[in-house]
Amino acid sequence: MRARGTFEQELTDLQQDILRLASLTEETIYGAVQFLLQQDVAGANQIISGDVLIDKLAQEIEDKCVKLIATQQPIAYDLRLAITSLKFLVSLERMADYAVNIARATLYIYGYPLNRQLMEYTSKMSRVVQQMIKEALDAYVYNDAQRAREMCSLDDEVDFISAKIFQEAVRAMREKTQPQIVIPAVYFLLISRYLERIADHATNIGEEVIFLITGEKRELN
Amino acid sequence: MIKNNIWRAIINYFFILLIFLAILQFYFFYYLNLGWALLTSFIFALGLGWILFKQVISPLKKMNMVTKAIGQGNLNQELPFYGQKEISQLAQNINDLVRQQKKVLAQITAEKNRIQTILNSMMEGVIALDKQGNILLLNSAVENFLGIAQEAYLGKNILSLIRNYDLERAVKRVLKSEKPITQELQLIYPEPSFYYLKATPLKNQEQEKEGIVILLRNITKEKRLDQMRTEFVANISHELRTPLTSISGFLETLRDGAIDDPAATHRILEIMSKETGRLAKLINDLLHLSKIEERRVVHRWQLVQLKEIINQVAAMFQPQAQQKSLSLTVEMPVELPCVSGDPDLLAQVLTNLVDNAIKYTPPDGHVLIRATTDKDNVQVEVKDTGIGIPPEDLPRVFERFYRVEKARARELGGIGVGLAIVKHIIKAHGGSIKAESIPHQGSAFKVTLPTEKIETEE
Ligand SMILES: Nc1ncnc2c1ncn2[C@@H]1O[C@H](COP(=O)(O)OP(=O)(O)OP(=O)(O)O)[C@@H](O)[C@H]1O
Ligand SMILES: [Mg+2]
Repeated sequence: MRARGTFEQELTDLQQDILRLASLTEETIYGAVQFLLQQDVAGANQIISGDVLIDKLAQEIEDKCVKLIATQQPIAYDLRLAITSLKFLVSLERMADYAVNIARATLYIYGYPLNRQLMEYTSKMSRVVQQMIKEALDAYVYNDAQRAREMCSLDDEVDFISAKIFQEAVRAMREKTQPQIVIPAVYFLLISRYLERIADHATNIGEEVIFLITGEKRELN
Repeated sequence: MIKNNIWRAIINYFFILLIFLAILQFYFFYYLNLGWALLTSFIFALGLGWILFKQVISPLKKMNMVTKAIGQGNLNQELPFYGQKEISQLAQNINDLVRQQKKVLAQITAEKNRIQTILNSMMEGVIALDKQGNILLLNSAVENFLGIAQEAYLGKNILSLIRNYDLERAVKRVLKSEKPITQELQLIYPEPSFYYLKATPLKNQEQEKEGIVILLRNITKEKRLDQMRTEFVANISHELRTPLTSISGFLETLRDGAIDDPAATHRILEIMSKETGRLAKLINDLLHLSKIEERRVVHRWQLVQLKEIINQVAAMFQPQAQQKSLSLTVEMPVELPCVSGDPDLLAQVLTNLVDNAIKYTPPDGHVLIRATTDKDNVQVEVKDTGIGIPPEDLPRVFERFYRVEKARARELGGIGVGLAIVKHIIKAHGGSIKAESIPHQGSAFKVTLPTEKIETEE
């Protein structure tokens, strides 16, 4: 144990700040997809306006973190903790931004006839993506590098469903009988892209957790 | 320590021996030779030392060991009695102390176990946190809700246990204001579910804040029922309004002069009677369901020829099927045993199943009613090549007002009571019903009814 008691406290606080931001991000992503599937415009609007809070929180934590590095000059594990926290911040904030994009898409496709198959795929894909986020964050909470390594295998499933969405969207758009289907199909393509990007960030977090624990950098998958 | 003392005792002994010798020299200088004097004194001292060791040092050594063990938490220690009065007293006191301590400990353990048992028997989740929001205790309900093991979380922050922004904020607020709060909470993991949360500040005897106690009640079921009820009201209003709007529209037309045109009047009356029929069916269905659910239906039990009923229902739906270019076929053995039951209710079962099959099968599909029989049962299966039911909805289609994908069902005019009625009727007949489906390929509903006479249960 080092003598600098307040420094220890500051690091613990930082970890909690990260988890707080993570909780907001997780809920935002869940909500965005849920409101999309239920075609809930009010809910989608709520997600969009909630982003301000996430940005504000992320900014606050970033300031704190930079100050901590500058004044305490941590080394070894503590330094890694501070650096990974900064990276988590960026990833979590981006993820929330993609969730907001999904909420926006919900507003754009409202009222159009929806392709059931695309909805199903999107729902499935979002479940896998959320599982990835959960595993990455749990690995952080438990300090469990193994868990972080395992989580990354889910990325293949995301890619697989994403390909299916692409096929189905193209198929739906080729059908000449229903021209109104084109706009929602395009948005579903975009949404699958957003979810893929969210999964990428979840993978980043997983990699950072491994770096934090073991001190080694490794590209997963 | 003890060894050290012995050495000191030996040194002391030689020191005293020296003085003793000096005194001896002084008195018996001429009579005693030095060797003898040394020997007697040595033997004497040895005897003295032995007595000292037996009476004092050895018991003290033992006590030392025992009290040390007690200090380390091992209370299963007793000291024997010793000859020496004071030492025996001391041993006695130590024994009493240990016994007392043991009793108190047993009481505390029993109390703790009792509280733990009470906590674990609660349906509500209980979480106790300290002032920093770190977990002191949680009961098994929480473990169940979250699918975790308690040990992993003791001492960790609440955010590590439940990553939920609202919950953490509530905890902070209570810690700050020291006033209890209640609110609703939605958790995403491990299953999306709703909780009713009550957070109360925890105070010690001096009224200083110690932490916080959180009570969690799972209200997911209530929420879901509530939602279903809201949807039901919305649907039913929609269902009632559509025919009513049409009827009042046509009444208007009649009043505005159409009544003078017999051909138009005839057509309008036709439509109005159809719409009234739809209204009546809707209201009948609802009444029927509530009656069946409250077990107020008077059954006219008799031997029923399922064959007749199947043919009747098939004939009834033939026009509807043709309209949608569906083939509606019946397959059954020449001999179908009778079942005992209410013919109208059994006809209703078949009607609802075939109605669904036709409703949820796109044009150019097939609907098949097939009856088979074995020794004890008759099985009637209604099978279609329709849109099917996703596996996650399959277990729930028999719930009242439950419809797969609300928008689709509303378009087709369903309110979601058909299968609920079917299930209740089958249950009242001592039978069972099973649904199977592959999405986009079709569904099959299998009714099994006992052939032998059944007791009228109601
Ligand atoms: N043969 C079927 N194929 C596909 N889906 C079905 C089939 N039968 C039932 N379902 C699904 O189960 C749901 C419940 O059926 P149920 O008969 O209880 O209600 P409903 O048909 O919507 O309304 P109604 O009360 O008018 O019958 C339906 O909304 C439909 O989504
Ligand atoms: Mg029905």
